[in-house]
Amino acid sequence: MAAAPSMAAAIAATLPAVSTTPAPAAPTYEAIPASMSKAIDIEADIPLTSVQLDGLVVSKIIKHSREAQGGNAHGLLLGLDLDGTLEVSNCFPLPHHFNEEDDKSIKGVAKYQASMLRSLKEVQADDSIVGFYQATTLGSFFSQSLVETQAIHQERLRHGGVVVVHDISQTARGNASFRGFRLTKAFLDAYKRNNFSTESLIDHRLTFSTIVEEIPLRVRTNALMSAFLDTLATSSPSPAGAAPSLASSTTALPPSYSVLNLGGVGVARNLEQIVEAMDAYKTEEGNLGYLQRQIAREKARAEGYVMKRKEENATRVAQGLAPLPEEDVSRLFKIPPEPSRLESMLLLGRIGAYAKSVEETSSAGLVKMYATKAGNGA
Amino acid sequence: MPLGPPSSAVHLQNATPGFVSTPGRTPTSVTVHPVALFSILDHYLRRTDAQERVIGTLLGTRSDTGEIDVRSSFAVLHSETAEQVAVDMEYHHTMYELHHKVNPKEVIVGWYSTGSNLNTYSALIQNFYTQETAPHQAIHLAVDTGVVEGEQAGVRAYVSSPVGVSPKPENAVFVPIPCELLFKETERSGLDLLASASSTLSSSHPSTDLDILERALRSVSDMLDRVLTYVRSVLAGEVKGDPAVGRYLMDTLGSSAEDLEKGGFNASLQDTLMVSYLANLVRSQAEISSRLALTSAAAS
Repeated sequence: MAAAPSMAAAIAATLPAVSTTPAPAAPTYEAIPASMSKAIDIEADIPLTSVQLDGLVVSKIIKHSREAQGGNAHGLLLGLDLDGTLEVSNCFPLPHHFNEEDDKSIKGVAKYQASMLRSLKEVQADDSIVGFYQATTLGSFFSQSLVETQAIHQERLRHGGVVVVHDISQTARGNASFRGFRLTKAFLDAYKRNNFSTESLIDHRLTFSTIVEEIPLRVRTNALMSAFLDTLATSSPSPAGAAPSLASSTTALPPSYSVLNLGGVGVARNLEQIVEAMDAYKTEEGNLGYLQRQIAREKARAEGYVMKRKEENATRVAQGLAPLPEEDVSRLFKIPPEPSRLESMLLLGRIGAYAKSVEETSSAGLVKMYATKAGNGA
Repeated sequence: MPLGPPSSAVHLQNATPGFVSTPGRTPTSVTVHPVALFSILDHYLRRTDAQERVIGTLLGTRSDTGEIDVRSSFAVLHSETAEQVAVDMEYHHTMYELHHKVNPKEVIVGWYSTGSNLNTYSALIQNFYTQETAPHQAIHLAVDTGVVEGEQAGVRAYVSSPVGVSPKPENAVFVPIPCELLFKETERSGLDLLASASSTLSSSHPSTDLDILERALRSVSDMLDRVLTYVRSVLAGEVKGDPAVGRYLMDTLGSSAEDLEKGGFNASLQDTLMVSYLANLVRSQAEISSRLALTSAAAS
């Protein structure tokens, strides 16, 4: 049992938002010395291998994602890590902040988060943050803000936290899609140095497919919820005399066949988004190219200046005069730093994800078409 | 889609739509979103040993016709002893404010408790929530978790009305009203995922589109087999045919797909294949482009 307070202590120490939490009625534990807490906290050493979502979390995320305006829903995941599995047992949505720069709104969110955690703790719910969730459409989730948030989390949370990505459009098509991710070490390293120049990318072997690594994700329903779902799905006893084939019409959860819909809904929208992302990529490439040319020009000018000075010095030495002092070239010519390639990499990732989503839709469409043909022919 | 066993719920019809804006009109029916239900079950699991039942607040929307849509719920602390009942009102207000920040449309519509036991304390709590929802009436959701033996899992909804010569808060009649599970079609797949997770007993992975399609096709094929057996047995004279079933079958199977035969299949096939090739092309281009970004500086 010694691990329990230490885990709380470790997480409280890493998260400033929680550390202010007063625990009014809780029994007081002896404070564990910082040196000891590491020794007691064994869970922190077991690497994370999978994420387990509770049924409650699944339904909460789906509801929030569907209701949020603009498809921009995000919230925090709460739970515990146990033996390499991150068990997410609860979550709550974060208010949609309209203005990223607004200091007041950030403070408001922090306050909201702290008091929500405190309130959840009072009713015996888990109150340690283990990551966050993000709703997306059509499989593309790369964005600056997601990467930034996850980078912060990965530094502060014990296991680095996870981001669970939920795809609204795929869910609407009949396949509830949840995927767990975290940033790769290489990306995090480059991010910490805030260096996304070409050399840094080569050093870290970064392409868009190596920004995040996927963690296998499972969905679990607790026994009570399973029992309840079963009750909902089984038909209640039909009135006597009805034909057996009509009996199942009174369930709360009738079987659904929305996946069999033939219409290629969303393909056009998906293709549009590919084109949009490509346009954005083209613009970004143009910007990068412009900056590159500027750098090259400045470099050439600086080199020219150095050459000239050397020649001058050579003639001066030949004439027996003292050479002119070597001036600091970098002060005379401002060579702009190499532009960050992060944005263009993320855009490429978006294009790739959109294309993959189109591919999946069309392959499922093919199967459906042949199934229809077979059904029609028979 | 009824929730739970058949009950004696009063199905009231709102006959006078012109009468709608009157506050405090009696709610006629309740729909419950799965999230609210699952939150209640989760709260019940996390109760302390001393607690016999748990209560909490229901949030949702009201329609003009007296229908109440329960969209979410949160737990509220309370204590019940033989002498008194106490609800942590401050906690309730804090939580409501927090929820209100994220979802301003949802307002307090009533409260839930687990178990089907309606007693004096229920009337007192109901009285408290009626003050919270004034001028509207509060509803009460009794969630039977099915844990106690002999009780079937289900959800019942009630409205209350005062009873007795002089109205007292602890005296109330709870009138059952119909209660249904309601969710949007787009959220349906999430429930399917949970149902598949619960039927396999262990945890399940989210599957690919094709897996789900295969499952649906198999179940359609099973159903066709079932229909075929039924039809054969009717034809053989073993079972008396039901005209209603026959009519349904006629409607379902009679739908024609003439469009497919007239070359529509090939045209559609070409479109789909083209889209698929295009998507492949875009993907490989994106991959190549990101690789090229890595080498461009090395070459120069």
